[in-house]
Amino acid sequence: MPKRTDIKKILIIGSGPIVIGQACEFDYSGTQACKALREEGYEVVLVNSNPATIMTDPETADRTYVEPITAASVAKVIAKERPDALLPNMGGQTGLNCAVALAEQGVLDKYGVEVIGCDIESIQTGEDRELFAEAMRDIGLEVARSETAHTLEECERAAEDIGYPVVIRPAYTLGGAGGGMAYTHDDLVRIAREGLALSANSEVLIEQSLEGWKEIEMEVMRDSAGNGIVVCSIENLDPMGVHTGDSITVAPCQTLNDFEMQRLRDYSLAVLERVGVACGGSNVQFAVNPNDGRVIVIEMNPRVSRSSALASKATGFPIAKEAALLAVGYTLDEITNDITQATPACFGA
Amino acid sequence: MNLLVDGGRHREALLALEDGTALRGRSVGAEGETFGEIVFNTSMVGYQEIVSDPSYAGQIVTFTYPQLGNYGVNEKDMQADALHLKGFVCHDACYTPSNWQSVVSLPDFLASRGVVGIEGVDTRAVTLAIREGGAMRAAISTTDLDPKSLVRRVRESPHIEEHNYVADVSCKEPHVVRPKGEVHHRVVAVDCGEKAGIVRRMAEVGIEVTVVPWDTPAEKILAMEPDGVFFSNGPGDPDTVPTVPETVRAILGKLPVFGICLGNQMITLAAGARVEKLPYGHHGGNEPVMNLLTGKVEITAQNHNYGPVFSTFGPLVPELSGGLTEHPESLLTWSRMHVAPVAMNERYGRIRLTHVNLNDGTPEGIQFLDLPAFSMQYHPEAKPGPNDSAYMFESFSRLMDGREDYLAIDVREGRRF
Repeated sequence: MPKRTDIKKILIIGSGPIVIGQACEFDYSGTQACKALREEGYEVVLVNSNPATIMTDPETADRTYVEPITAASVAKVIAKERPDALLPNMGGQTGLNCAVALAEQGVLDKYGVEVIGCDIESIQTGEDRELFAEAMRDIGLEVARSETAHTLEECERAAEDIGYPVVIRPAYTLGGAGGGMAYTHDDLVRIAREGLALSANSEVLIEQSLEGWKEIEMEVMRDSAGNGIVVCSIENLDPMGVHTGDSITVAPCQTLNDFEMQRLRDYSLAVLERVGVACGGSNVQFAVNPNDGRVIVIEMNPRVSRSSALASKATGFPIAKEAALLAVGYTLDEITNDITQATPACFGA
Repeated sequence: MNLLVDGGRHREALLALEDGTALRGRSVGAEGETFGEIVFNTSMVGYQEIVSDPSYAGQIVTFTYPQLGNYGVNEKDMQADALHLKGFVCHDACYTPSNWQSVVSLPDFLASRGVVGIEGVDTRAVTLAIREGGAMRAAISTTDLDPKSLVRRVRESPHIEEHNYVADVSCKEPHVVRPKGEVHHRVVAVDCGEKAGIVRRMAEVGIEVTVVPWDTPAEKILAMEPDGVFFSNGPGDPDTVPTVPETVRAILGKLPVFGICLGNQMITLAAGARVEKLPYGHHGGNEPVMNLLTGKVEITAQNHNYGPVFSTFGPLVPELSGGLTEHPESLLTWSRMHVAPVAMNERYGRIRLTHVNLNDGTPEGIQFLDLPAFSMQYHPEAKPGPNDSAYMFESFSRLMDGREDYLAIDVREGRRF
């Protein structure tokens, strides 16, 4: 499919200040997207509150607004610029949240702005724990089991249902105080009693523990024709239980055999389809049981992420640039591979 | 191998290529000496399926992926009982695998099967040499460590074209593989070096397969009254394989026919078309192929040094080829147009190009329009590789059911779980 000619002006929401959820990797991806879309002849309008970014350099976009990334201020930019489309998934979670708010407040409808690259519903499915779990069960994939409990008896019942070990997460406590891992019934009684007492509404979440499972990430892309590729698989050197942010990651995945890898590829592309990422890149995370190969979906991000920056640098495949081109209607076989300069971007890892 | 830990444990080994390249490394697998045609494989995962693929008979396989053996070797992913490849070249082999299904490390497995290998060589240099000079003769030795001597002996060694490897790897006696569930079709598979993955994929769609030796005469196959006949993948130069094209010719038009890889080449030769040797072939799990009937792209597994030349099937049928009257220089013209062109073959009538490799525009699949037959140059069973093309086995089922649109299946069907 050739690129779309019904849209001329595209608004990109940038990365904002460097805090968790808005880190410099999104400056990298946003800059790539701006360049790619301008090369294709689109007029690019950028909103980014952080002037200490490459993407706010004057030559990156046609017009740059150094304004707060809030629905109110972006709405003003939309009113003034009247863009045809909004590409919201280049600026991390902040950009996505802002796009959702703009949609909910009716700003996008009012000015006839089309969201490209992902849709609002898919952002919500990706973010909402319940919606996501339901979507995964829909396509036959397993998610970590969890139950909420308000009394010690409910906690015991939940732990019996789920099977030890379980993670206990009290609701509404400061800094996650009162939570912990229960390997036995005794642990559970001790931690749950404390958790229930600390929780402002006497509520705890009892969740299946995946401690020690392999943590695998798949960087996948999909185009509007349904073609799918794995740009890169990533394995965390530290297993589940160690936060990804504290863990060393290796690309590609090291300890899965071909059957296990291809299964995760199939799962990842199915997750994208179910969540509703019609085209673009996503990051899907899995836990794989090292003793029997069982797979549980942890989460998916319908946007470029920290991992896509790593995957882009590790493979030479510019995910954000390709995602921007897919968003304006190209298919993977129509984009030239940046590394070979001769073969298509549609290839597999 | 960690040189700090294992430095003294492994014997020195030498890899020598016909073009004069000689690289020192360390022995992995069996010690000794081996000669063969050197190729490179670009798969990042699936080394067990690759080393057990009978199509590598006569070949020394270089892996471009730098570290092999991390998930060990298991019992369920073997593509054949014996290992037929001639040699194994890698940058770094892992002696301490980590995977629940692993029963033995890759180096120990290679050693127990007598496969001579070398590690610690610059596999990028080897790959570049093959890309420049094409697939060529090579040797790995732990006994002759003199580069001049080994290169000289490589140049004296036989070419892969001088031997019919199909006869070596084909089964000697017929055997039957039954699906777990209901049997929808019964097929005879002519085993030219068939990968186990193909039969397993057929079983998954309810096909009962009787595997017969490569030189089984057509009358014998027809007498078994199957619903269809399959011609398998296999090693070596298709021109060294006698009788199979005649077998194909005797069956085409009488029963539905499906071919993969060497089987595709046999069908091509049966139609009187030409098969050419590619510069360095396709070996990997990441080649993009467009199904011209659906316009969708499959990421495919491939393993071949030879392939058909589409224009030699016959002149184009313009009204079925987007109006073109002459074969274009590159088949990528068709993938850009999303048109599946049709050639008029003297022997079998209309033959359609259904699949094209998007990397180099080589033909990857054909379909006979005037009789029930189709074939693929790549490996729809993957093993190793993505499941995108698994729908091809469903296509075979549909062909045997007499459906006309049997190849127009979305790639997503193959990814169902």
